[in-house]
Parts: sequence; structure tokens; C-alpha cells
Amino acid sequence: MSKHEFEPNIVAFLCNWCSYAGADLAGTSRIGYPPNVKIIRVMCSGRVNPMFVVNALQQGADGVLIGGCHPGDCHYIQGNYLARRRITVLKKLLEHLGIEEQRVRMTWVSAAEGKKFADVIKEVTEDIKKLGPMQQIRRTNTW
Amino acid sequence: MVDQKKLREEAKKIIEREDVKYLIGWEKGTYGFQMTPLFLTSSDDVNRLVFNPLCIHNLVVFPMLEEKLPLGKDKPEDNKKIGIIVKGCDSRAIVQIMQEKGLKKDNLVIIGIPCNGVIDPKKISKRFPQKTKTFDVEEDDNNFIIKTDEKTYKIPKDELVLDKCKTCEFPNPVIYDVLIGKEIKTSAKSDYKEITSFEKKRLEEKWKYWERQFEKCIRCYACRDVCPLCYCKECMVDQLKPQWVRRSVNISENTAWNIMRALHLAGRCVDCGECERVCPVGIPLTKLNKKLEKDVLELFNYKPGINAENKPLLSIFKPDDAEDFIL
Repeated sequence: MSKHEFEPNIVAFLCNWCSYAGADLAGTSRIGYPPNVKIIRVMCSGRVNPMFVVNALQQGADGVLIGGCHPGDCHYIQGNYLARRRITVLKKLLEHLGIEEQRVRMTWVSAAEGKKFADVIKEVTEDIKKLGPMQQIRRTNTW
Repeated sequence: MVDQKKLREEAKKIIEREDVKYLIGWEKGTYGFQMTPLFLTSSDDVNRLVFNPLCIHNLVVFPMLEEKLPLGKDKPEDNKKIGIIVKGCDSRAIVQIMQEKGLKKDNLVIIGIPCNGVIDPKKISKRFPQKTKTFDVEEDDNNFIIKTDEKTYKIPKDELVLDKCKTCEFPNPVIYDVLIGKEIKTSAKSDYKEITSFEKKRLEEKWKYWERQFEKCIRCYACRDVCPLCYCKECMVDQLKPQWVRRSVNISENTAWNIMRALHLAGRCVDCGECERVCPVGIPLTKLNKKLEKDVLELFNYKPGINAENKPLLSIFKPDDAEDFIL
């Protein structure tokens, strides 16, 4: 790996019941995945306010991943369905403003899918690497 | 053309009712083409009430701004009604707020006015740049008739009418108690030509355009204050803990604010165009709102402000919602 290659910052909001456990399984099964991802545990993907995503992009993230349970498996019955609608709308808006919508990704990972979690992180990291650093709404005043 | 006499008669009837607190309408402003909102508490002032194509304000914002102080001990709840005069688009805002349980139909008396389109204040002040006196404006089928002391102008509607009125699908109020005048038949369909042509641009071009627009934003939040649907007790942008959007005025925070405003109106905006009218720096905010309106219609087949029985868009789901972007 060359010294100057761009290493993206990815923030992942993972739901407590499925995706976070999936990430845990990936760890305990010793499946390697890129270390660019910073995981934030939320109780449900429905907890993710679209402003979380926007704030992450402002604050230094180059990409945001939201992980939830598979449709129908949500611990809170409908949280992931509601999140899906919100993120759809957010992505459409970002696209319209000229911000690459691929920076915001969503995935369904169950607690048994450690392998899938690693694959998803690999794919997202690759994609964001291609896009380059987030420039449009990066915060410059860090105080 | 709305019959002013009939409007005043009906307004008088409503104000004189025991259970009505006040009635909100329009009166002539103090100069030029300005109209101002009028709060009528007694029937003495009813002759100040007017309706003409200059009445652009969406009055639905006022019932939502009313301060409700905590009730004292043994004080009865204030169940008095508010009278309000609405055009087609304003009435959709009422329906949308009722759908979110912000207003009750029982607390409103609505006078509906079918509207043929209102005059764009920017266009008309360009046409008459130096006039400071007030004008009388009337309309016939295809023209606006503007009367000054010395002259009468007849101007075709297409030149002055607000852009969104040209494709208005709802000239008649969706909800009303009293209707003044006849319902208008319309075959207009909202078209999203401007939006689709903008969508075809490259990403960099889009950002260049919006960067130029958002750079201008001074974050006065006039767009929020005038919006009938922005009625949260405490707006997210005013919160300090957590502070969602910082106070500094720069492109990052301005964009975050505009994303937030547009998102909170997704599936709720009734396209009354007030935000764009009040923006002091002229950001085309309806372009954002229209885009989400279009996408919501395409993706979820949902149109806000039509039926108060519907559930709000983002609090419902269908198991087969589009999910092609999910990994």
C-alpha cells in the first residue's frame, strides 16, 4: 500500500440487536475487515436521525453506514422499515444538492452474518475510497 | 373575482358568534402592493377586510403561533374557535396539520376562497418600481386590473402570477365551512419540469449551484418562522444540547440547516411558497421542497395535505418500499 493513499473515515450506526452483534461475530470469528470503520451502537436503526448522518459528514466522516435487522426481524417491530423511508428521502435530497449519495449506505445484517458484515465494510470502504474525501460540507471551524 | 361584500357579510356572521375568538384575514397595507394580515376581534372593523390577488400570505401560520400558557388552577380550558380565511394551498396546510393532530377541526371556522392565482410581489414591483401609494387590484378571466389614481392598467395574468400558481392543482380549498364564490374547474397538473431538468445535471454542477445559493444564507430562519408546518415548540436548530447546527454562518452549517429544513418538510410541504417569498437573500427554497414532493410521490405514492385521515408519511411504511440501495 502506498503511503499517500486516501484512507476514508466511515461512521457506522449499527443496531444493538442485529448489526452490532453481526460485527461482534465478525470479530470473534476472526474475519478481517478494513479498520476505517468507526462503529456507534444505537438501539435500533430507527433511532438514526438523518441529522446524525449530516452531522457525521460535517464533522469528518467521508461515508456513513447504517446497519439494521433484516426486514421483519426488527426488535422493535417496525424501526428498520421507518429508517429505510427516512434514509431514502435523505439520499434523494443529498443527490439533489450535489453531494454523492453513495456516501450514505444502508445494510441489513443479522446477528449470524459476521461474514456478510465484513463484506459490506469492504465494499463500502472501496466505494468511498473511489469517491475521495468529503469536501462539500466539511466543517472548517473545529472549535 | 371574489365578492368582497359577501366575504365581509360572512366574516361578520362568524365574528359575532359567541364561540369565536377572532378572525384572521387580509387588509390593505400601507404602501405599494403590500397586504397585511388582519386580526378581527369585533365586527366594527369588518370593512377593512379584503381579498384580492395580492393576498399572498398563508394565514395558517397564525393559529400555530398562538401561545398557550399553562392553565391556572380550576381555570377552564380555552375552547374558543379561531376564524380563518384560506386559499386552496393554505387549506392543504390546515389538513396537513390536522393529520398531525396539531389543530382540531372543532377549533377552527374556515372561510374558503377559490383562488385563480396570486401576484408575485417580485414581478409586480419590477413592473411598477417607483409607486409608493396603495393600489386596487382586481381580476377578470385573463387579466389583472390595477387601478391607481390617474390610470388603470390591464396586465395579462401570465406576466404577473406566481410561478407555482400556474401549475396549481388545488385552486379550491380542500376543507372549509363557508365557501365564497364558485369553485374553479381546473385541469392543471403539477409538472416537475424544472426539477427533472435540474436532476439531469452533473453532481459538480448541482453542488456549484447550491453552494452559490447557500453561501448567501444569513440564517435568519424567516423560512422557518413563516412556514405553517414548522410549528415545533422548540426547533432543532435552536437547541443547544445537542447543538445540531452551529451558529457560525458558513457553507457547512448553512447547508446542514437547509438539509434539515427540507427533510423536516418531506412529505409535509404543501407548496405554498411562503419560504421562498420571505427569504431576504432569494434562495430558491421551493426547488428543494418540490424535489422531495416529487420523489415522495414517485416512491411512496403519497401527497400531503389532502386527507386528514391519512397517516404522516414518515410514520408509516410499506413492507415493499423501494430498497434498491440497501447492501
